[in-house]
Amino acid sequence: MSADQTVQLTKRVRRFPIIKESQQGALLLLPALIVIAVFTVYPLLDGLRMAFTDQNLLRNTIDYVGLDNFTRMLSDNVFWLSLQHSLILTTVVVVLQFVLGLVLAWTMNQNLPGMGLFKSIIMASWVIPVAATVTMFKFMAQPDIGLINIALKAIGFGNLNRYWFGDLTTALPFIILLHLWRNVPFYGIAFLAAMQAIPKSYYEAAEIDGAGTWDRFRHITLPGIRNMIVVMVTIHVLWTFNNFDFVWLATGGGPVNATDVLPTYVYRQSWTQYDLGYAASMGTVMLIILMIYFVVYMRVFERREKS
Amino acid sequence: MSTRSKVRTAILAYLIVFVSLVFFVGPMLWIGYTSFRTQSSIFSGQVISPLTEYTIQNYQTVLSVSDFPRYFWNSIEIGAIVTLVSLFASIIGAYALSRFDIRWKNAFIIGIFSTQMFPQVLLIIPMYLVIVDLSLLDKVIGVVLGQLILVLPFQIWMLKGYFDNLPLDLDEAARIDGCNIPERLLYVIVPVAAPGISVAAFYSFVVSWGDYLIVSVISQSQRTATVTLIMQRLSASLLIRWGEVAAVTILAIVPTILLFSFIQGRLVAGLTAGAVREE
Repeated sequence: MSADQTVQLTKRVRRFPIIKESQQGALLLLPALIVIAVFTVYPLLDGLRMAFTDQNLLRNTIDYVGLDNFTRMLSDNVFWLSLQHSLILTTVVVVLQFVLGLVLAWTMNQNLPGMGLFKSIIMASWVIPVAATVTMFKFMAQPDIGLINIALKAIGFGNLNRYWFGDLTTALPFIILLHLWRNVPFYGIAFLAAMQAIPKSYYEAAEIDGAGTWDRFRHITLPGIRNMIVVMVTIHVLWTFNNFDFVWLATGGGPVNATDVLPTYVYRQSWTQYDLGYAASMGTVMLIILMIYFVVYMRVFERREKS
Repeated sequence: MSTRSKVRTAILAYLIVFVSLVFFVGPMLWIGYTSFRTQSSIFSGQVISPLTEYTIQNYQTVLSVSDFPRYFWNSIEIGAIVTLVSLFASIIGAYALSRFDIRWKNAFIIGIFSTQMFPQVLLIIPMYLVIVDLSLLDKVIGVVLGQLILVLPFQIWMLKGYFDNLPLDLDEAARIDGCNIPERLLYVIVPVAAPGISVAAFYSFVVSWGDYLIVSVISQSQRTATVTLIMQRLSASLLIRWGEVAAVTILAIVPTILLFSFIQGRLVAGLTAGAVREE
């Protein structure tokens, strides 16, 4: 490099000193931060404050009522029922998604003709609107004219004919089905991507050592996709626990609260009863539950990491 | 592996493929099929009807008689604005977090990601009051602002992961060539990160297109009602005209499937860029 060029270079570099750059960099973050501050952080704080008031859209006065909303919850049966449904739904959905996702990933990882096409279409269920998914399943669950009942009748189970979302015992399982329909392919494709990143030599070495299929899965595949498992499970615990539209659109929480979860109950309290204070207090409880989950999860995860 | 166990594996795999196709693709085909049937053939409870019972009348009714085109346009408009605004904010935001030495950077990253934990049904209560105060109720911009928070945090997280995997030399070379930050972003980073950015764009459009919660609270009239809102109303009415509902459902699905067909190869790699570190 000639001396001339070097001089030119230092000049250019000096035009953009590092310290100034990081300040400019911080500016780039500003638009996103403003949106998040105004439409997420402020609403969160205001929501937490509201939890201690009796704010109601139908009244003009707002008073602080201390812990009244929380004591009201203690004796509110629908709250306890919704909480129970939320916990059951989240646990069952995430566990089933995880297991079925692994099965799907294993399948797609087989080097067989047609698998490429299968991989390319299977995630379509994840991209379509939840409202469309619900409409499709509601139609299939219709008594007499729905495909499910037509199929059952064809194989001799016509006596089971019913509206599957309107039945006390089958409504919640059908909500679970909706969650599986949407997300299992996503799990499958994500796990597959992680599996394919595991070096083939690991498997070859294990085979030489005489490790069976199960051993290879247990000691190579699972550890290899561990990070992906953590991310997928974390995202979906949040997503499922906070999910509102599957239940709301499919059943509205009914029949007789049989599918009510915390999000739908909170929504009903806010937008049908206009009882914002009470709704906010239950939203606060949801947040606390998720935070407890995370603390426990992180603890367990860290301990595993160490051992 | 022995040939026998290979055959067994293949049979099992194809069996799973078959069941998956029936379960995951079947419902979409069925609603598509239904959208071309008359009301009477749907209500016959038969799977196959005489040829005269197939029709495009459902689509004609939905597209010309009903207000559906209006809602469809609203969905497109809102989705497009959400996508553009969120892309702008998340690209520069993620770039800042990926490349610059910003004070409290880790706190920002953790803070942004933890907003994913906040229950949306809680956030929307005060958010509604903010929107009312800003006189944005039942306005496209009001819906857009609400939906931005559904997509922004995840988008930033995802793009930051993507940018982190791009070599620093790229920026360095552009900087030495005299590019300032916007130039570097526009001419160097954005073109190189295009695959990741296209997934981010797809993600925000699909989330906006499918959103029900925000629209249901902020939309008050035809002005801002979207396809999802109408789907819910149609299938909640007393006497359901399933053929038309099916046509509406197909029309609501088609844009997302079309976009998906362009993006599907990159989708998961893009979505999980934040989770996968190349070391």
